[in-house]
Amino acid sequence: MCLGIPMQVKSIDQFVAQCEAKGVSREVNLFMLQGESVEVGDFVMVHVGYAIEKMTEQDARSSWELYDEMLATLSAGETDA
Amino acid sequence: MGISAKQWLTLIHEMPISQPIKIMNVCGGHERSITMSGIRGALPKNIELIPGPGCPVCICPEEDIYQAIQLSLHEDIILVAYGDMLRVPVNVKKSEARTLEQAKAAGARIKPIASPMDVIQIAEQNPDDTVVFFAAGFETTTAPTAAMIAQGVPDNLKILLSGRLTWPAIHVLLSSDSPGFNALVAPGHVATIMGPQEWAFVVEDFNLPAAVAGFSPESLLAATYSVIRQFESGKPFLDNCYPEVVKPTGNVGAQKMLSEVMTVVDATWRGVGTIPKSGFALSEPYRYLDVNEHFPGYHDDARKRAGEMPPGCDCAKVVMGEIYPNECRLYGKACVPRHPIGPCMVSDEGACRIWWAHTKR
Ligand code: SF4
Repeated sequence: MCLGIPMQVKSIDQFVAQCEAKGVSREVNLFMLQGESVEVGDFVMVHVGYAIEKMTEQDARSSWELYDEMLATLSAGETDA
Repeated sequence: MGISAKQWLTLIHEMPISQPIKIMNVCGGHERSITMSGIRGALPKNIELIPGPGCPVCICPEEDIYQAIQLSLHEDIILVAYGDMLRVPVNVKKSEARTLEQAKAAGARIKPIASPMDVIQIAEQNPDDTVVFFAAGFETTTAPTAAMIAQGVPDNLKILLSGRLTWPAIHVLLSSDSPGFNALVAPGHVATIMGPQEWAFVVEDFNLPAAVAGFSPESLLAATYSVIRQFESGKPFLDNCYPEVVKPTGNVGAQKMLSEVMTVVDATWRGVGTIPKSGFALSEPYRYLDVNEHFPGYHDDARKRAGEMPPGCDCAKVVMGEIYPNECRLYGKACVPRHPIGPCMVSDEGACRIWWAHTKR
């Protein structure tokens, strides 16, 4: 429930953005970032489908690397659960 | 790039540490990262990392889950909830539904969701049905619920709100005779929304070190280094080791939405009891969305169950950092992720589940 995922904004239609992370695309709600200007190409931290803050590309990429490692371990750990 | 995890570890090992330091975290994501990266074992022996009240599923009160189950079984509604909530057991007779999942198997209409946007979609697709959103979660999950409400919701949507604030639980622990820790690593995404200042009381009122951390081993180790240094220098301050996402003010827009749509009230935590000013309730202009306005009776009936926990389950002690998961007698024996006895073994953010999935046994 609580895992935040950095995503890149690909297109924006009012408060709904099409965002992408490592080839996976999904709709993200921008309503919580009304005070900021979010543009196509920006990176945002997404939590339960809502962008909660903007972030830099470099920070987004290093989190993706971390999640890759976590997901690999997670699926390995799940099998003997 | 900044300092690597290895370099942080070297820096920590080079520091003189005069007495044992117990560092509590308040976030399932932190605990997962700590456990998976093996940080705990790589630190000096006199540094302990303690998982605290960081799992919203684990502390969601039994009575709210019971109310959700009963509503789904006895009213003509569609109940939607975050997937984790569906498997959390309540303490009822074997013949009754113990989880939302079992209620679903018994015919209740229950759908797992991953976002408040899914909730809106389900409500719009089923205009003739009442859809009830069982909204459990900490600030990071409750703020998007507030945003969903502020943006406008379909008439057929009602809310069973079970949102909680994290810091009051730490306040309760620190105010007790035996807090069990003497430094705090504060949750990065809670601070992203609410602002790091929420945690200043740890320093100001209790004179203990505190640092906000992100989820990478680097950020967690930077925060660990920071609190050790603060501790040894005797000059605690609130550090922000996740500045790439956490702004000094937090997300002001989100905070405004939260305070418009919700008020802060005293609230119960599973196995822990009532914690002052630790829960969210819908504010007056939005109370018409409250499920209790439409289906009265369930709330009071469910309250009778306050404090219940499955027999033998030590989740409450695990959540408050009094014991480690493997000190529970049922851990890994009667209680495993496939047959969870308590909520800490259900949720991906529960310490028992994280330990079971990621530590050598
Ligand atoms: S191991 Fe299971 S029974 Fe024991 S505290 Fe954790 S969830 Fe509860």
